[in-house]
Amino acid sequence: MRKITYIDAIIEAQREEMQRDENVFVLGEDVGLYGGVFKATKGLMDEFGFYRCLDTPISESAIVGIATGAALMGMRPIAEIQFADFIGGAHDQICQQAAKIYYRTGGTWPVPITIRCPYGGDVGGGMYHSQSNEAWYCHVAGLKVVVPSTPYDAKGLLKAAIRDNNPVLYFEHKKLYRTIKEPVPDDDFVVPIGKADVKKPGRHLSIFSFGLMFHRSMQAAMKLREEGIDVEVVDLRTLLPLDMETIVESVKKTGKAMVVHEAPKYGGIGGEIASAIVEECWDYLDGPVVRVAAPDTPVPFHPKMEQLYLPSVERIYQEAKQLFEY
Amino acid sequence: MKPKTVSKGQAAKNSKPRGATRKRALEIPPEEARELHYYLRLTREVDERLVKLHRQGQIGGNHYPAVGQEATTVVPAFFMEDDDFVGPSHRELGVFITKGRGSPRSMPLVQVFAQVFTKSTSQDEGRNGPSHWGWTPERILEHCSNLGTQIPVAAGAALSFKMRGLPLVAFAFIGEGGASKGDFHEACNFVGIHKLPFVIIIQNNFWAESVHISLQTGNDNLSDRAIGYGYEGIRIDGNDVIQCYQTFKYAIDKARTGGGPTMIQCDTYRWYGHSMVDPANYRTGSEVSYWKELDPVARFERWLVDNGVMTQEEIDQRVKEINEQIFAAIDEAKSAPDPEPETFLDKVYAD
Repeated sequence: MRKITYIDAIIEAQREEMQRDENVFVLGEDVGLYGGVFKATKGLMDEFGFYRCLDTPISESAIVGIATGAALMGMRPIAEIQFADFIGGAHDQICQQAAKIYYRTGGTWPVPITIRCPYGGDVGGGMYHSQSNEAWYCHVAGLKVVVPSTPYDAKGLLKAAIRDNNPVLYFEHKKLYRTIKEPVPDDDFVVPIGKADVKKPGRHLSIFSFGLMFHRSMQAAMKLREEGIDVEVVDLRTLLPLDMETIVESVKKTGKAMVVHEAPKYGGIGGEIASAIVEECWDYLDGPVVRVAAPDTPVPFHPKMEQLYLPSVERIYQEAKQLFEY
Repeated sequence: MKPKTVSKGQAAKNSKPRGATRKRALEIPPEEARELHYYLRLTREVDERLVKLHRQGQIGGNHYPAVGQEATTVVPAFFMEDDDFVGPSHRELGVFITKGRGSPRSMPLVQVFAQVFTKSTSQDEGRNGPSHWGWTPERILEHCSNLGTQIPVAAGAALSFKMRGLPLVAFAFIGEGGASKGDFHEACNFVGIHKLPFVIIIQNNFWAESVHISLQTGNDNLSDRAIGYGYEGIRIDGNDVIQCYQTFKYAIDKARTGGGPTMIQCDTYRWYGHSMVDPANYRTGSEVSYWKELDPVARFERWLVDNGVMTQEEIDQRVKEINEQIFAAIDEAKSAPDPEPETFLDKVYAD
């Protein structure tokens, strides 16, 4: 099977869905003529025309609001927010309009929109181009939040998001765009929203992660394996709704749980997962539920500062080892 | 209305005295005028009834009376098609009552009361508050209290109409206060780029809750903003049904036939406070009585009588019948069951 990158998977998913359904279209800043600042919509304007890959003014609120209005008329828009850091301008549209329309119309008017949010650090972007702000939206009923970590999941989850009848925020990690490649089928498949994936089974300890931190957790797990510590690494893939079944099953097996993410620790999704584990797996736990996350500061720019800010393989390794020995 | 140049001959014709041999054509054809009056009067009577019901403690939550500004909602809705989209703000009762004009998809009158009594028979089944009407069959979005957020949503509906080549129009309503929101700018700018079939209606009632328009903007000609977006802006007397009729007919026809968006500022006035908990003591009594003199419904009724379209007896009879209809709708709405409390857990996500 051919191998493709994470960004190729994102382009391919959009292209296939646009071919499959003429109601699917893309809008956002620089997505048309330029093919997106990350080239995530490369070639789509040539293939599908001006309106189906529409360049918008710099108006995040309008981008999401327009997507919502078009969706109410039967379209399936994919709105690109150029950097997840810029999503604040669209906050009302996401949380007050899109998330609540189905509910407040008594289930008569679904809002099938996908909001693509390039996010994450280790790209030298500083505090306005590096945030991992997925937790902001995990607190809002009516939304779904997905966070693919691999090219296969990137393609399958994006297709699932586009076909979903709810507003789905699709957080794609910028560092992963061109740094990972794997075999991905070139035919039609979806990865279901709401299902985590045990990417590496293990017996001693469970790590729950996603995005770039999933890959760092895998590296730490490989290092620990050399020392005879068998870590299970679970790629969460969806944060809202969370796949508690897979999480609980894993913790019941290993008795030890750790959550790794690159957003600040306080109020991060790690706290939600940790408390859910404590509530549902108390009798099975053999140690504290550990959160490995960024400090509660903005993302600093200086490369050495940023490396200190983001949880490293070494830090994950040390924290996991300590938890194993608890 | 677009400024018209009047030729000398035309001016002479218009100035012919009453009762001259050639009868002047009415600004609104009589059949339409009679129907328009029905919806104006119905909206007025329903709204006044809602005020009374609220004062009697029969409505929980709040109500946002639009008494005094019926023309700016009923008249545009009079020209809307079933498939046109509306993003309303909080004072658009007249749109819900008028849009569709009795088509099978239009909102039945009983729904006005099912919503304010938060009955299981309301569209949202008690999930949202009274006066948050919404009617999906007529493509009228349920109002969101974050003012202005409906404008980009309406712009998106307009974009989809253009992409599909449909002769449909998207409408957004906003007050002069809500027009200060960023969403107003983002959406009004976007629709100009693509000349979308879009009409934005600014109902300027001079007071955003307690803040006067002079503290809202440095230019109370809000429709001037359209110039900056590259399309036409028109300011009208929103209490003049004839002017509303001509302006909305023109702007909606234009949008429907590919002529692009229009921004219409309607100067009008709400007789009551912002909501039922607002005594509106920031206004002077003389200001209120000045505007009551300009009552759009009464003015239109004088026009109907003066032009022989309806007699005062016919109007009185109609008001009586409308109130019978309203009381029947109230009784019907009240007889429906309340929602089961635990149903609030449902319909958060679509399948």
